[in-house]
Amino acid sequence: MRWIRPLSAQVAETAETLGGKAHGLVVLHRLGLPVPAGFVITTDACRAYLREGRLPAGLAEELAAAMGGLEAATGREFGGVRAPLAVSVRSGASVSMPGMMSTILNLGLTADAAAGLAAETGDARFASDARLRFLSSLASAITDTDVGGGDGDDATAAGPGGAAARSAEDEGARRADAIEAVQGLVRRLSGAPVPDTAARQLDLAVETVFSSWDTPRARTYRELHGIPPDLGTAVIVQAMVFGNRDDRSGTGVAFSRDPNTGENVPFGDVLFARQGDDVVSGRSPARPLRELADREPAVWAALVDALNRVEGHYRDACYVEFTFEGGELWFLQVRPSRFTGAAAVRAATDLADEGAVTRHEALLRVAPQQLRHVRTPRIAASADADILGRGVGACPGVAAGRIATTTDAALRMAADGPVVLVRPETSPHDMRGLAAAAGIVTARGGPASHAAVVARAMGKPAVVGTTGLDVAAASVRFGGRTISEGTLVTIDGISGEVALGSPRIATDTAGAHLRRLLEWADDAAGDHSERDDAQRLTAAHAALRQG
Amino acid sequence: MIRAEPPQAGRDLLVLHALRCGGHAGTARVAAATGLPEPAVESELIDLGAAGLVTYAAGPFAAWGLTDAGRAADAERITADLESAGARPAVAAAYERFATLNPELLDLCTAWQLRSVDGAGTVNDHSDPSYDTRVLGRFTDFDRRAAAVCAELSAAQPRFGRYRVRLADALDRAASGELAYVADGTASYHAVWAELHEDLLATLGIPR
Repeated sequence: MRWIRPLSAQVAETAETLGGKAHGLVVLHRLGLPVPAGFVITTDACRAYLREGRLPAGLAEELAAAMGGLEAATGREFGGVRAPLAVSVRSGASVSMPGMMSTILNLGLTADAAAGLAAETGDARFASDARLRFLSSLASAITDTDVGGGDGDDATAAGPGGAAARSAEDEGARRADAIEAVQGLVRRLSGAPVPDTAARQLDLAVETVFSSWDTPRARTYRELHGIPPDLGTAVIVQAMVFGNRDDRSGTGVAFSRDPNTGENVPFGDVLFARQGDDVVSGRSPARPLRELADREPAVWAALVDALNRVEGHYRDACYVEFTFEGGELWFLQVRPSRFTGAAAVRAATDLADEGAVTRHEALLRVAPQQLRHVRTPRIAASADADILGRGVGACPGVAAGRIATTTDAALRMAADGPVVLVRPETSPHDMRGLAAAAGIVTARGGPASHAAVVARAMGKPAVVGTTGLDVAAASVRFGGRTISEGTLVTIDGISGEVALGSPRIATDTAGAHLRRLLEWADDAAGDHSERDDAQRLTAAHAALRQG
Repeated sequence: MIRAEPPQAGRDLLVLHALRCGGHAGTARVAAATGLPEPAVESELIDLGAAGLVTYAAGPFAAWGLTDAGRAADAERITADLESAGARPAVAAAYERFATLNPELLDLCTAWQLRSVDGAGTVNDHSDPSYDTRVLGRFTDFDRRAAAVCAELSAAQPRFGRYRVRLADALDRAASGELAYVADGTASYHAVWAELHEDLLATLGIPR
């Protein structure tokens, strides 16, 4: 085939052609790890599409043939009523462009196919939620905005209590309404209804991913980060694995080492009975990865084994995305994880000590700029701290203070001591509260949110997008725990942790590891004179790159 | 059909609404937001205060702000202002285009504050003029597209015209070396953009 490659161990092409994500899936195949059946449309096809403004000649035939292969491999029928095949459609360029590209889940679930899935599984709720998730992910991709949908958005529906509190009929009606609303949105914004055949849904999804390469926002991002404008993105099509299938299903992300400290222990988040991007988007409260060991020991054991194998391949700390359905584990993505600060120092030093890399390689793994943040204060050893919640660190540093949930409270309380402002998200109304607070925590928003931008401008530690955080009038809830306003908390703007009380703070978390790495640096540079950390590492890099 | 000039919101509503969109502020900031002279702003604030719609909070963050009654009055009056001008469809359409631009602006602010060096995210200390120039160049490109949305808004309701003036001013100052006008402080591009965001939500009655 000219435009399409299967996802298999035999594919020999580079990430330039396959895209980084598909290339990682090929690596997983080579390591004998389970990857859902699928194929990749190459970046060549994207470049042809961008040049010609339409899908290149021959792609339609290749797509039909590849889908036929996928049907044969899974024993399911694309767009069929009996055993319908649903696929995910994901972008994957050869360079990472976070937030730029789209993932469409459960594609192929036409109204008829969703009814077939309901009949097959005997679970109408599962099937209609899957169809809603398909429509909202398609709408998000088409409109380049976040369109909510699926039960992942509704925390109260998560637990059995939430589901029981609402009658099944109400829920069914609510989802039916949501399905109607999302279809209406697509029709209004794209000028055409959602296609009602699976094959045309696939064509639309592929074109949408291709054109998302050239949105103004994507162009700006490339310009800012020096990414060539003509790389294009690949498109990965895979049979769906349903993390929301039942109680023995779920989805998660895992690092082979702790990205906060670099320590050699698996780290990550898992969501039980949830699908796809719920973990990545932070829409649902995630559980610490370790809980997998108790609930699904076989999945945990397979995951730990896989993390060892991918580390062995990349000779670096790694990141994987996974889903398990009915107790069976599947991998959806792998890449080396780029640690920062103290974690980068520790991981590089440990990898050298373990013999995975040479000392010289370890030195080159750490950028001198990383050392700037190595001595930034951190909450010490998470195991001893009572961690209420975790979000995204948006401005480095530690702040301890009493919780204020409004700007007025922050102003009032700041007279008596430091305050941590905890908000759902921030707006210009919170400026005085942000100014009065020692640190900032938000429930929603990422590292580019209003709160994050303002916190960095003010140089205040901040944690944004805290999963499971719910802000009420005079209290906040972290997961299931209610904490009243005025309670002392400590936040870590690097790790994104929010801890109860005042845990121990460390300013030299890399400690012994940093000293050893810098000794190797001096050896490599042949210079043992007194200089600052970054200078010592820079000199080593210069010497190693010359040699 | 020749359209009559859209009706102009009264000074008192402009002042009230500036506090609704920008949060607590002193007279100078309200003057910048509304384009009214400071003494006129102060006089309106005193009248609005007497009506119980705004209040002056003393202390280290002293400023004028809305009371609950002021917030309710603003919602009612700004909606009436929108509907009487028949401007809802145009403002709603402009808001959709704003929503597409918004993540890009936040990407730009983030790139201004943090930069990626050898794969490592680090604070932009503004010691590399070529990087700053590149980011500001993208701001300029972005601003052209933002200006189109601002123009639609001010055609629908002239009071939106102030945002164009303030955004252009922030970008001019940033380009001439006053770097704080990108993302620091209440007159920065980021802050004015966030006020416009709040204004659109308030005007259209969209909850956050």
